[in-house]
Amino acid sequence: MRVISTLPFTLLRMLKSYIFLLLLLVVPMLLLTFFYFILSDAVNESGESYLYETAISQVLVFQLFGGSIVMTFIHYDLFTKHKERMQLLPFHLPMYAASIVACGTLFSIILGVCLMVFSHFVLGVMLGNELWMLVIICLMAILSSLVCLILTFSVKSFKLAERLSEIYGIGFVVLAGLFFPMPQTPFFQFMGSYGNPLALSIMSVKEMNRGNSSEALQYACILLLAIAVLFVVMLLTGRRKWG
Amino acid sequence: MTIFRYTLIRSFGNKTNLLFLTLFPVICIFLPQGEPWPPLPYGYQYFGIVMLFVGIRLATLIIEDRVNGVVKRLAIAPISYLHYLSGHLLAYAVIMVLQCVIVVYGGVAIGRELAQPHLLLLLYVSYSFVALAIALAWVSIFRSKDTAFLVYMSLIFFMSILGGLIIPLEMFPDLLKRLAVLMPTYWLERGLDWLVYGERMADYWIVQGVLWLYTILFVTIGSFKKLY
Repeated sequence: MRVISTLPFTLLRMLKSYIFLLLLLVVPMLLLTFFYFILSDAVNESGESYLYETAISQVLVFQLFGGSIVMTFIHYDLFTKHKERMQLLPFHLPMYAASIVACGTLFSIILGVCLMVFSHFVLGVMLGNELWMLVIICLMAILSSLVCLILTFSVKSFKLAERLSEIYGIGFVVLAGLFFPMPQTPFFQFMGSYGNPLALSIMSVKEMNRGNSSEALQYACILLLAIAVLFVVMLLTGRRKWG
Repeated sequence: MTIFRYTLIRSFGNKTNLLFLTLFPVICIFLPQGEPWPPLPYGYQYFGIVMLFVGIRLATLIIEDRVNGVVKRLAIAPISYLHYLSGHLLAYAVIMVLQCVIVVYGGVAIGRELAQPHLLLLLYVSYSFVALAIALAWVSIFRSKDTAFLVYMSLIFFMSILGGLIIPLEMFPDLLKRLAVLMPTYWLERGLDWLVYGERMADYWIVQGVLWLYTILFVTIGSFKKLY
């Protein structure tokens, strides 16, 4: 259990990665503030304020990119010139890798919670059932970490893996129709609802706030299923890459 | 011309760059038309954002040169700093103008409604020079390529939102509307708006003039610092 002694340092390293903090915390905060100024009075047809909708999707959108910190750390510690040094250390290396993944996911969740707190207390947006939102944020963070890990393990060049992880994030934002309306074909309709983690999580949070807990659970279960499948894929690709 | 030629080759040599430089403009052509906003199809609106990304991707080659010490070696070669910088900028400008041509005339070829394609092309070209100039000024501050790119990414978010490329300007409160005028993206948006609804030709040339002023300003800032 020597790995535990490395945990504080992993977390410290993550807290000191200013670029991630800038991109995943400061940028969304400024964006939310900006939307607050533009949308504070606007209301949609069903009487919900646009700001509420935007706040939920902003918090969840940035979870799509949360996995990038995990992939950076895993790559740097285990697949660069550090690999041999790490192998010499007297601890169980897979445990160490798991601890990085856990820390990175936790870090991403904490950033999500910071955004929630910010939008609740500073901007005064009512997010509804916040506990359920936290659950969804956790699921999204885990999913994003797994996707990023699979990309790291299955693509030869790390640069390409990074770009692909960005495409994963931006692609699902576009497919969810947040930038512009998608065409009404069966493929895009599927990718804008059940085939899209972002859309699933947004729908789940909204349904929970409207009181339809069974539908909210159903959407969350789809996310869980995706996580289970990707976890197995992650293990398989990881073993191949390491061995 | 040697520097110019090799910069072109280098820009196209990298696979990710190649993807950026050809695929994204082509995607832009096919994005749908919005009702009632924006005036031109979405792709032509978002092409302004793509341009900013392309600018920084190209300009990071200069950081690479600086970090690898290429610039230091150039300093003892019989090449002036002006020569080096102008060779690079010219190559980048050629690439960006090519992209503008692809987007505008590609759109015309498949029959998109672009109001006045020739003026649109001219607008994009001026705007792409601004994007390049800002990127040049930006990379002169940084030492690491990745840091420069990632921090610039957050700047792009704000320039494009505050300039009204993603959200219509009419929705902004008064103060933000006034601040938006400071953004080069605002002038692009205003130009695009003019192409569809504009009447007086003078308004178009004002937009062009402001874009050129931005270009001159940022190129000056960017070339102040010697690159080594």
